[in-house]
Amino acid sequence: MNHVACWLSLGILTAGASLAQAAQAAPGTLPGADQIVSRTLPNGLEVVVWPDHDIPNVAMYTWYRVGSRNERPGITGISHYFEHMMFNGTKTRPPGEFDRVMEANGGRNNAYTSPDVTVYQNWFPASTTELIFDLESDRMHNLDFDPKVVESERGVVYSERRAAIDNDNFGTLDEQMRATAYIAHPYQIPVIGWPSDIEGWKATDLEAYYRQYYAPNNAVMFVVGDVEPEAVFRLADRYLAGLEAQPAPTPVTTKEPPQLGERRISIRRDAQTPLLAMAWHAAAAPDRETRVMEVLLSILGDGNSSRLHQRLVEQERAAVQVGTSLDQGFDPGLAWIYAVVPPGGEVGKAEKLIDEEIARIARDGPTPAELAKARNQALAGFWRGLQTISGKAQALGTYEVFHGDYRKLFEAPAVYESITADDVKQAAAAVLRPANRTVGVLEAPATTADASAGETP
Amino acid sequence: MNGLKGLVIASAAGLGLLLGGTAAAAGQGEVKLPAFEQTTLPNGTRIALVPKRDTPLVDMVVLVRGGSLADAPGREGTASLLAEVMQKGAGKRDATQFAEAIESAGGALAVFTGAESLGVTASFLARDTGLMIELASDVLLRPGLAPAEFDKARTLAIQSIAAAKDSDPRALLGEYGDAWLFRGHPYGRPVDGDEQSLAAVTLDDVKRHYAEHVRGDRLIIVVVGDFEPQSVKGQLEAAFGPLQPSSAAMPAVQPASRVEGRRVLLVDKPGATQTYFWLGNVGASRTDPARTAQSLVNTVFGGRFTSMLNTELRIKSGLTYGAVSGFDRLSEPGAFSIASFTETGTTVQAIDLALETLDRLHADGFDAPMLESAKSYMLGQFPPTLETNGQLAARIADLLFHGLGSDDVDRFAARVSAVDGAAVRQTIKTAFPSSGDLAIVLIGDAALIREQVGKYGPVTEMRITDPRFAPK
Repeated sequence: MNHVACWLSLGILTAGASLAQAAQAAPGTLPGADQIVSRTLPNGLEVVVWPDHDIPNVAMYTWYRVGSRNERPGITGISHYFEHMMFNGTKTRPPGEFDRVMEANGGRNNAYTSPDVTVYQNWFPASTTELIFDLESDRMHNLDFDPKVVESERGVVYSERRAAIDNDNFGTLDEQMRATAYIAHPYQIPVIGWPSDIEGWKATDLEAYYRQYYAPNNAVMFVVGDVEPEAVFRLADRYLAGLEAQPAPTPVTTKEPPQLGERRISIRRDAQTPLLAMAWHAAAAPDRETRVMEVLLSILGDGNSSRLHQRLVEQERAAVQVGTSLDQGFDPGLAWIYAVVPPGGEVGKAEKLIDEEIARIARDGPTPAELAKARNQALAGFWRGLQTISGKAQALGTYEVFHGDYRKLFEAPAVYESITADDVKQAAAAVLRPANRTVGVLEAPATTADASAGETP
Repeated sequence: MNGLKGLVIASAAGLGLLLGGTAAAAGQGEVKLPAFEQTTLPNGTRIALVPKRDTPLVDMVVLVRGGSLADAPGREGTASLLAEVMQKGAGKRDATQFAEAIESAGGALAVFTGAESLGVTASFLARDTGLMIELASDVLLRPGLAPAEFDKARTLAIQSIAAAKDSDPRALLGEYGDAWLFRGHPYGRPVDGDEQSLAAVTLDDVKRHYAEHVRGDRLIIVVVGDFEPQSVKGQLEAAFGPLQPSSAAMPAVQPASRVEGRRVLLVDKPGATQTYFWLGNVGASRTDPARTAQSLVNTVFGGRFTSMLNTELRIKSGLTYGAVSGFDRLSEPGAFSIASFTETGTTVQAIDLALETLDRLHADGFDAPMLESAKSYMLGQFPPTLETNGQLAARIADLLFHGLGSDDVDRFAARVSAVDGAAVRQTIKTAFPSSGDLAIVLIGDAALIREQVGKYGPVTEMRITDPRFAPK
């Protein structure tokens, strides 16, 4: 539903385990985990290698500490647009060559942009590791901006915006909610960018972005799979050590001021099923409060036995679907609860029921069984998340970039173990309160005038 | 969609485990299925067990032959509702207790429905293997099928379709496509029903499907993960052995005829700023001897980021975020389809370009370096498709279901390597439709494109809010 939500799933995956199980989750018991090795090149690029020889393949994830959080009016969406341009030609390889060469040698790639980071993913047979280093190095050194491609890629991104936001009711609501919940902090900026900025980005904006953010000291590379660390470091030396370190990017210093009262937005557009969403200001990724909030939201909305599903979907039939998500970034993000209301259903009823469930957990806290459930779900999720080379690369990146050290991945179970029923209860009372939230409703226009007013330009 | 770059966030939700013995020296893509033990119980239930101890998890897939093809005409969604209600209370647990039992253990258990089977997938911590087998067998042998749960499931299924119609149209394009391509053929009936057919399904329909099809001889059970085979085999025999064989006939399907000429279904979504299009014809079956060559040609045509389609519609022209093609493989040939989307104003330009690209495939094929590129891609990307417990269990169940041996996996690399220019030419001719023979579906703002798209063939129109996926 939102750009950070899936991420989340990994944060939650690594959440929670009993003390006995925490021992199981120590690095030494995961195949190859005790062989994770990290090295930082003189130019500041950190390379982390996790050997895993079960399939003859490799996942290489390169994380840059740049996302829509680093943008400003006029260039919103440029982090994501830049991500697209990283595939579109260098001074030594014409546009399209990167993908053509990689695919012709058995590799595949993708990338994603969030408010906080941009991550480039390569999946390839281990036998082509050097070639992939060559390709990755080339675009880190020599990126070029062909004016024709700058224009055609604008169309691609606009199409992506239409698909993900404009023609998807959840995408529309999500964008409007973020823009309302943040009045100061750049988390108000949609990752895809506002339409007028999509139309306005210039090649000079891209060049400036490349210099400032695509520096080796602003990146971390994770190489997981059928490789040996020393061989990877040799390749890193050969292909990446020549990159020049750059001055640290301008830090994002704006802090969102405390919210002074509930905000409400109403979106009118064609919809058979009205949508209701609530978003509260919560904490940043590494904060302990974020772990507590994960447990709270899991108890409220994770799975068919969760409180909100039972109340709204099963008992009161006030929602077709109900769920939660939690932003986890460098700065304090939003905690979300959303509901899909049945055709002809009352949004107000769904809202009232959610409020009652929040009040109940803020008053009484979770039961011991609910805490145990959250722990078991986290333990199983921990194992599931780390069983592919891609999952491992994503998990390492999450902990290294957001928590400051990939080793904290393996400490997470103990952190969750320390969370008490009282923590959960207090988080519900302190965070999930009306004055701290934005409430958004998307529903069909009541009148024709509303309809035209609600159309997306 | 395949091969698209952008916002989509990588989900790390892999389940499972890895295949041994796949050293890089063995060559790209040379993956072999682990040896697995197979048993057939006296009631006909087939069981395959694959112990893998890398992680403390166990996965299970149960396929039940039958699926939505057994739905009565006008009652599409019967099997799907059965699958849904089976887990809403089973054995000694009511619906809430059942969900609680799964989630309290950190497990996952889901039911699914396909055209030819329904089934259960489960993933649990190894210490809960017994609980997993108990819950899966409760679902299949002792479902409560309570009237209140049926009513609720049916209502939610109908409402969920309405919700999907408010969301990204990409999710529903294939539903309309199959219905339009296979009209009058069983493969054109919606697997999960539509709003109109679901409203007609009764609890008796659901119970009849259960009694006729969820029977011992219809089951294929595959367990992969960290468990003791002898113990689990005994537990499965005890749990599933009592399920009696079926006396009902399996739904029969004849291969569908290819569409000749073109016909257009225009699904009106007023206010849509893009047109979503689907171009299809009858393609190829799961067991087609030429399936590897077909997949290879599709890799080149629309199966990867640098494919011909994506190169034309995205990379070179910026008309779309992505254009893909692919085969739906069932026991008989399912759809071969091309799918993409573009701003409303460039609808015709994008569709014309897709058709021209298909023409170019037929006229020119592709050269030897492209053939080698596609081979490398298929081989290089194959091992990660069998990386997890869940992937492995699903693949083995699929092989057993279709009567394919381990060779389907073990000889994959050899089959890919054997595809030559002659096979490519033959495959293009036989499996890829001509641009003149297509069922075409467009979801978009009809008022803005109605006139222009008439050039593709006779246009039939419906509204996205109509309670069906096919016109009346």
